[in-house]
Amino acid sequence: MSDEDSSGWQLTESDPGVFTELLKRLGVPYIVDDLYSLEPESLAALQPIHALIFLFKWFPESPDDEPGVGTGHYDSDFPGFFAHQTVNNACATLAVVNALGNITSLPAGSQFMDLMNFTTGMDPQTCGMAITSADWLREAHNALSPPSAISLDGLDLPKKSEEAYHFVVYLPVLGSLYELDGLKPYPVRHGEYDGSGEGWVKKAREVIENRIHTYPTGALEFSLLALRDDPIPGMRRRLDALQGSAGDAELSDLMNKFSNENSKRERWAFENSSRRHNHIGLVHALLLALAKAGKLDSAKADAQRVMQERLERQRAMQFD
Amino acid sequence: MSVDLTSSSGRTILAFKAGRAFRRAGTNFVDASPTKGAIVLVNEDGLLHFMWKDRTTGEVGEDLILFPGDAKLEKVPQSSWGRTYVLKFESSDQKHFFWLQGSSTRRDEEFMTNLNRTLADPNIIPIWDARNIYPASEASTSAAGASTSQPSTALPIVPETSDSTLAGTTPEQLAQLRGIVSSMTGFASEDELWLSDVLSSQNLLQLFQTHHELLPSLFPHLPPELIPSSDATPQQAVEILQRMTNSPPFRTAVAQLDRALRTGALGEFVRSLGLPESAATGVGAFLAAIAEQARQEGGTEERMEED
Repeated sequence: MSDEDSSGWQLTESDPGVFTELLKRLGVPYIVDDLYSLEPESLAALQPIHALIFLFKWFPESPDDEPGVGTGHYDSDFPGFFAHQTVNNACATLAVVNALGNITSLPAGSQFMDLMNFTTGMDPQTCGMAITSADWLREAHNALSPPSAISLDGLDLPKKSEEAYHFVVYLPVLGSLYELDGLKPYPVRHGEYDGSGEGWVKKAREVIENRIHTYPTGALEFSLLALRDDPIPGMRRRLDALQGSAGDAELSDLMNKFSNENSKRERWAFENSSRRHNHIGLVHALLLALAKAGKLDSAKADAQRVMQERLERQRAMQFD
Repeated sequence: MSVDLTSSSGRTILAFKAGRAFRRAGTNFVDASPTKGAIVLVNEDGLLHFMWKDRTTGEVGEDLILFPGDAKLEKVPQSSWGRTYVLKFESSDQKHFFWLQGSSTRRDEEFMTNLNRTLADPNIIPIWDARNIYPASEASTSAAGASTSQPSTALPIVPETSDSTLAGTTPEQLAQLRGIVSSMTGFASEDELWLSDVLSSQNLLQLFQTHHELLPSLFPHLPPELIPSSDATPQQAVEILQRMTNSPPFRTAVAQLDRALRTGALGEFVRSLGLPESAATGVGAFLAAIAEQARQEGGTEERMEED
C-alpha cells in the first residue's frame, strides 16, 4: 500500500454532501445519506438502498483490529468489480467506485462506463491502479476538496493533518452479501441472504453490528452511509399526482418530506461551496471593513483580553 | 493525566513537552507523530541520558546516552510551523526529530538554550530566568527602525549584534525577536492575540448589522454562486455572510492565517494583499497595516490609538 505517494489525489471530507456531489459528477442519479441507525424503520425510509458504506478511524499502530474476516470468507473468484486501494487519499472515491461497479443496470455517465469496461477482467491491484490513474476521476475527486493552503514564500504551510477514515462497502451480489475493502486481498463473502422482507440489508445489519461489537465500547469511531436512489424525482411525481386528490394528511406529510429533502440539498450545496472556496480574500475584506467601521481597535483589545485569560488558565495547568 | 517525568534512579535535569517526528523514507519530509510526549534529560550515575517519554503511557520511547559536546538540538529552519527540532551528533549521522508541544511558545527558547548548554556540559546548572541568557543591551526606547507603519509598542530590548541593524532585518527575524522579547519580559506582546478572536462571530454579526453600506465590499470575496443578487435585502445578505463566516472551512482558513502570521514568512502573501512587507511580522503588525490600508481607502471612522 502506497502511503506517501498521493499521486495528485487530495484528501476529501467524508461527508454525504461530498459523496453526493461526486455521484453527480459521475452521472449517477443516486445520493448518499447519513445513517443514524440500522433499525428496520430507519432503513425502510431510505429504500431502495444499493449499498452501505461503513467508515471508521484507521489506527495503523494499534494491534491488528481485524479479527480476520469475522464469519465471512475471502472469495478469490468474485465475479464482480473489486479494486485495491493503491492511493490513500483516494479512499472515499475508491469505495464509491467499488460499490457502483457492482450495481446491475447502473445509470451512469459515459466516462464512468468506459472506465468499467476498461477494467473488466483486471486483477484487484491492476484495477486499483487503473482507477487512480483516471485523470478525469481524480479531477472530479479533487474538485471537492479545499483549495491549497497559504504559501509561505515558497514553503507550503502544512494543512492541519487529517486523520484518514477507512471505508468498507457492503452490498448484495448474486444473492450473497459481500464486503468490499480495498485494503483486503479479496472481497469477503458473508453468505446468502433472504430476499423476502427487508432483503439483504437484514444480513448487512447483523454483520455490521457484529463487527462493531468486536471493539471495546467507545474505542471505535465510525459512521454509516447509505447509497440510495435520489428520492426527489419520485417525490415530485407523487406530489403532482396527488394534487387535488387524496387526503390532506398524505399530501402534507409528503410536502414535509419534500421540503426537508430540499433543505438538506441546499445545506449540502452551501457546505460544498464553502469547502471549495479560498477564504483568505474574505478574511482580508472583513478586517478592512472592521477598520472602516471603527471597530478594529476594540476587536483587537477584546482579543488580547481573551488571550490573556487563556494564558492564565494554561499557566495554572503548566505541567498538567 | 499526569505522568511522572522523573527518573527512578537518576537526577532529572530538565523536562519539557515534546513529540517525535519521523522522516518519510526516501524523502526529506518529516512527519510529526501526534503522541503526547516529553524530552527528559537525566543524569544517571554520571551518564547523561536524553530520553523521550510517552506522556500517556509513561513508557520511555527513546533513551540515548550522550557524551558531553557530542549532540545538540537545533531548530529545523524549513519547518513552516516553527517548532520542529533535530537532535544532531558530531560523532555520527544519526538524527532524531522532535516538535515542541508546550501550549505556549514563550518558553521554547529557554528550554532549548538550557538543553543545549547541558548537552555541551552536563555539569552546568540550567538557568531559568531568560534575562540572564541574553546580555542586557542598552534598553532602547523605540527600536523599530525597519518600518514606519508600526505603532509605538515595538521591541523594547534588542539583543546587540555587531552587523545587523533593524533596518536590515527580515520579517522572519523580527517575528523571532518578538517571540524572544515576549518571553523575556513576561508581558504579552502585541502578538498575543488571535485573528480568530478578532473575527469572532459576535464581532462580525455586529459589523454586518450596523454597517450595511460596507456589505457590498464583502460580496466579491464570497463563492460566486452565493453572491447575493442585486435585489437581495440587507437582511438576506447578512444571513449569507453570517453562514459563511460561521462555516468550518472559513474558521479553518482564519486559523491557518493565524499560524502563518507567526512564522514571519508571509512577505509575498501580504504584498499580494497590497500591504507592506512589515505586515508579515506578526498579527499585530498585520492588523496595523490593515488599519492603515483602510484609512488610505477612505471612509474610515477609525482613530489610531497609541497604546
